[in-house]
Amino acid sequence: MQMLQQSFHRWLDKRIPAADNFALNHKTIFIFPAKFGWLYLALCTLLFLLGTNYQNNLMLLLCYFLLAVFLVSLMASYSNFAKLTVSIGKIHQVYVNDDVQIPLWLNAKQNSSTFSAAMHGRISAQFMGLSSGIDVDCDQLTNPVALPLPCKKRGWHALPRLTLSSLYPLGLFRCWTHLAFHSRVLVYPLPLVNNLSPQHRQAAGHDAQHAHKHSHDPSLQHDFSHLKAYQTGESLRHVAWKQVAKGRGMVSKQFTGQQQQVTWLELDTTVELELAISRLCFQVLELSRFNHVFGFVLGSYVLDPDSGESHRLNCLQALASYPNIAMVAN
Amino acid sequence: MQWSVKFWQRETTKSENLPRPIQAKNPAHLFLAAILIVFTVTLYEQVIAWISLLVVCAVVIRSAIFFAYQKHLPSMRTLNLLAILSTLGLLYSAWSLGFLLGMINLLVLACALKLMQMRSQRDFYQLIVSTLFLLGCGFIFNQSISMTIVYSVLTLMIIVALGFFHAPSLSLGQQTRQLGLLSLQALPIGLLLFLLLPQLPPLWQTPRAKTAESGLAEKITPGDIARLSQSSALAFRATFADGSPNHASRYWRTIVMEDFDGRSWQVHPVRKQQRLLFQSMQQEFNPVLSGPYRDYDIIAEATQQSWLPALDLATPLGAKSQSEIWQSNDFQLISLQPLVSKYQYSVRSFIAAMPYQVLSQFDRELNLSVPKTGNPRTQTWIQDLRTLYPQDTVFTQALLDYFAGQGFSYTLRPSAMFIDPVDTFLFDTRAGFCSHFASALAYSLRLAGIPARLVTGYQGGELSTKVNQADYISVYQYDAHAWVEAWFAETGWRRFDPTALVAPDRINFGLRQAMQEEGSFLADSPFSLARLTNIAVFNQLRLWLADVDYNWSRWVLGFDRQKQQDLFKAIVGKLTPQRLALLGLGIVSIIALLLLLFFLPHWLAGRVSGPQRFYLDALHALSKVGFSRPPWQGPQDFNDTVAQQFSAEIKQPFAQLTALYLHSYYAKTSSAEKETSQTERVTRQMKQHLRKLKRGLRQVKP
Repeated sequence: MQMLQQSFHRWLDKRIPAADNFALNHKTIFIFPAKFGWLYLALCTLLFLLGTNYQNNLMLLLCYFLLAVFLVSLMASYSNFAKLTVSIGKIHQVYVNDDVQIPLWLNAKQNSSTFSAAMHGRISAQFMGLSSGIDVDCDQLTNPVALPLPCKKRGWHALPRLTLSSLYPLGLFRCWTHLAFHSRVLVYPLPLVNNLSPQHRQAAGHDAQHAHKHSHDPSLQHDFSHLKAYQTGESLRHVAWKQVAKGRGMVSKQFTGQQQQVTWLELDTTVELELAISRLCFQVLELSRFNHVFGFVLGSYVLDPDSGESHRLNCLQALASYPNIAMVAN
Repeated sequence: MQWSVKFWQRETTKSENLPRPIQAKNPAHLFLAAILIVFTVTLYEQVIAWISLLVVCAVVIRSAIFFAYQKHLPSMRTLNLLAILSTLGLLYSAWSLGFLLGMINLLVLACALKLMQMRSQRDFYQLIVSTLFLLGCGFIFNQSISMTIVYSVLTLMIIVALGFFHAPSLSLGQQTRQLGLLSLQALPIGLLLFLLLPQLPPLWQTPRAKTAESGLAEKITPGDIARLSQSSALAFRATFADGSPNHASRYWRTIVMEDFDGRSWQVHPVRKQQRLLFQSMQQEFNPVLSGPYRDYDIIAEATQQSWLPALDLATPLGAKSQSEIWQSNDFQLISLQPLVSKYQYSVRSFIAAMPYQVLSQFDRELNLSVPKTGNPRTQTWIQDLRTLYPQDTVFTQALLDYFAGQGFSYTLRPSAMFIDPVDTFLFDTRAGFCSHFASALAYSLRLAGIPARLVTGYQGGELSTKVNQADYISVYQYDAHAWVEAWFAETGWRRFDPTALVAPDRINFGLRQAMQEEGSFLADSPFSLARLTNIAVFNQLRLWLADVDYNWSRWVLGFDRQKQQDLFKAIVGKLTPQRLALLGLGIVSIIALLLLLFFLPHWLAGRVSGPQRFYLDALHALSKVGFSRPPWQGPQDFNDTVAQQFSAEIKQPFAQLTALYLHSYYAKTSSAEKETSQTERVTRQMKQHLRKLKRGLRQVKP
C-alpha cells in the first residue's frame, strides 16, 4: 500500500511538477465518472432492459438520450474545468496547532476566449491527505479563497498537493487535479507559558533582575549614547522626534546602559527538546513584547543581542527550523 | 493557551464519512417536486389515490421549505414511521394490482418519501435516478405524442435540476441555455444510437399491467340495453403497401364466439381450453392456405386483451409476428402477450381460402350446440321452415329473405329484450343493431342443423390516401360489428351479414352515414371531432391529427428490427458482416466527430495564433537549452539578456522576432485591408526568423 502510494506520488510529480501557477489543461486534469455517474449508467442499463423487454421504443429513446447526455457531459465537464487558473498568494506564518489560511487565487475566466467565457459550478478544494476542504461557488467568486491547513509540526513545510474538483454540469463526471506549488509554510513552535529559567539569569549576569525591573523604559536609567536608524518594533518613545521634524528620517535614540542589561536566551537542555523549544518560543515572544534587548543562542546559531520585529522573526524562524537552521538563516 | 484549545476541539468534532449535507433552498428541489407531481398526474389511472395524496404532501413540504414558510424537515423518526406504514398500506392495496403496477406505485411512494426526507447529496442523486426511471416506466402506459412531449419536458427539467444542484447561483435563464445546449448536442447522438444500435427481441417475459380491458368484449348479449360502443377512440390502423380493399369487404375478424346460451354469445370455454392445451404442446394450427392474398401491417391500440383483428383468413407474416402471434383453430390471431401498449404486426390475408378449410367433428359439434329451452317461437318457426326447404343453401336464402323482407330496421337505440330475446327480436320489435341480427341468424342456422357461429370485429374504417405515403385505414371503436359464419358442405365456411340486408349503408359507407337519419351516431359525445365531420375545418383538423398519430405509431413506436434492417439495407446495400462492421465503425466515428464538433470552439479558444504563437515557439526553443524568460521580465528586457548571452546566430533572429512580435501587438494599423496584408508579411518573416533561430540553437546544444 505504502509502495503503491509512493509510486503514485512519484508519477504525479512527473506528470504535474510543482509550479507557481496553473492553467488547467489535459495534462493536469483527471476525469472519471463520479459515483452518481455509475448509478446513472446502471439506470441506463435498466431502462435498456426494460425498453427491450417491453419492446418500447420511447423507453429506448429515453435510454439512448440519457447515454448521449452522459457522453456530452464528459466533454462539457472537462471544458468547464479547463477554464480554471490557480495560483497561491502570500502565506502567513503560524504557530503549531493553528490553521494557516492558504490564500488561493482562482480565476474562472478564460482570457483569450470569446466563447462561453466563464467557468460555472462549485469547486471543492482540499489538500491531498486531508479529509476536510471547502466548497467554492465559481459563479460567486471572491478572491482570494482561504483554505485552512492545520499545522501540527514546527518547521518549514512544503504545501501538500492541492486537490481541486468539480462535478459541474450534471454530477456525472468528476474532474479533478492535484496541484503542487513551490510555496512553503513556516510553522513556529507552540509557545508554552513559563518563567525565565535560572540559566537565563545566569547567562544574563547580575543584570537580569535589574533589567526586568526597568525594562519598560531603559532610557530613564541610562545615558544617551548615539542615534541609529529606526527599526520596526522599537518603542516609539525612543524615536528622536526632533530629528524627524527636521526631516532627517526616523531615527531612534540609543542609550549606553542598554547593552549591559542584555538577556541571553538559551535552550534548556534538561527537558525534552520540543518542550524546551516551546518554552524558548514563549520567552522570545514575551521579551519582544516588552521590546527587551536579548541575545539568542540555539545550538551553533547565535543572534547578537537586539530587539525589534526582525530580530523576533529571526529568532522564531530559527526556533521553527531547529536543528536545520543553517539552511534557512539568511 | 487559546490556540491549542481551539485546535483540539476541531480535531475531535471532525467527522469524515458523514454524507454531504445540502442546502434547503436550492431550486433543484422545487423542480423535482414539480416533476413528481406532474408525473403522478399523467399516471392518474395507475397510481393509487392515497399515494398521490402522499406525493402532494411531499410537494407541499418541499415548497414550504423552499419558500421559507417552514424551517424544518419532518424528523427522521416521523418519516421512518410513515415509510413503514405506507409500505404496509401498499402491500394491502397493491396486492391485487399485480407486479408491474405494484412496482410503479412503490416507486412513486419511495420518491415521495425521499422528497420529504432529502437531506444529503446522496439522497438527491437517488431521487434523481428514481425519477428518471419512473419517467421511463411512464412510457409503458403513455405513448401518445402529447404525453411524449410532456415526458420530454420532465426529462429536461430533471437535467436542469441537476444543473441547479451543481451550480446553485446560476440564474434559470443561464441554466436553461447551458443545459439546453447540452441536451441539443446529446439529441442527435441519442437518435443515432436509437436508429443504429441493434433492436433486440425481448430478453425475458415481463410482467404486464392489469388494467381495465377496452375494445371488443368477449361476451355479447344483444338483448341487453344498448351498450354499444359509442366511442370514437381508435381501434387500430392498417397500412396497405399496394391497394386497400373496398369498404364493403373490410370485415376485420377479431373474436369468434361459438357458445350460445339463449341470450349471450361468448368465446367457447372448451375452445379456450383447447387453445391452452395446444399452446402448451407447441402445436399451432395450420390452416390450408391457397388463392390470392394481401399483405398489410396493423398497429393495434392497447386493449389489455390478446385478440388481434385481421381480414378474412389471416396468417402472421415475418419472423417477429410469427413468434408473437398464435393462430387458433377458429382462424383467429391471438397475441401471446396482452396488448398493454400499441402493438404492430404484419399479416397476410388469404381472401378466398375460407372454403377450403376442413370442419372437424369437434368443430361441428361446437357450432351446432343450442340450448334446449328458450325462444320457443323461433324453434317452431325454424322447424316449419326447415321442412319447407330441406336443402341447406335454399333454407339459408329463405332465412335471409325473411330479414330483408319483413320490415326489419337498423337502430342504435333498440328496446331491451330480456325474456327470449331472439323471439322478441324476430317477431315483435324487429329493430336492432348488428349483434341482434347476427345472433338471430346464427341461432336459426344452428337450429336447422347448419354449423354457424358469431364473429365480432370491425367493419369498414376510414381510408386515408396520400401521395407520398402508403394507404392506411383507421378503424375506430364505433366501427365495431358482428356477423355470422356458417359452414356448408359444398362451400365450406361462408360469411353472412344480415345487417347488410337491412342497412346496406352501414356496410358500404359506415356507421355515420347509416345513422344519419336517426342522429344517434356518437350521441353521447356531442363534442367529439368525429361527430363534427360536416364542419370542414374540424374535419381537416381531425384528419391531420389522425395522420400525425399514424406516422408517430408507424415510424417511432413501430420502429422494429424489420424496419431497422431495411434502414441498414438502404445505407450499406447488402447486409454482409463486413459491411455491418463498417457501419458500426462509421457510427462510432460519427458520434466522435459530433462530440469533437461541439467542443471545437472551446479548444480553439484556448489556442494562440499568429505572431504570438511564433514568439512563444521561440521562447520554448530557448527554454530547451535552459534559458527561459522569468515571469517578471518583459519581451524587450528579455531580448537584452539574450543579446548578452548568445552569439549572433541566435540573438539576431531573436531580436527580429521580438521586434515583430511587439510591433504586431502594439502598433496600430489604419485599415483592415492593410492589416491583413501586413499580418501575412509579419507571419512570413517570423517564420523565417524562427527557423534561423532554431538552426542557431541546434549548434549550441551539443
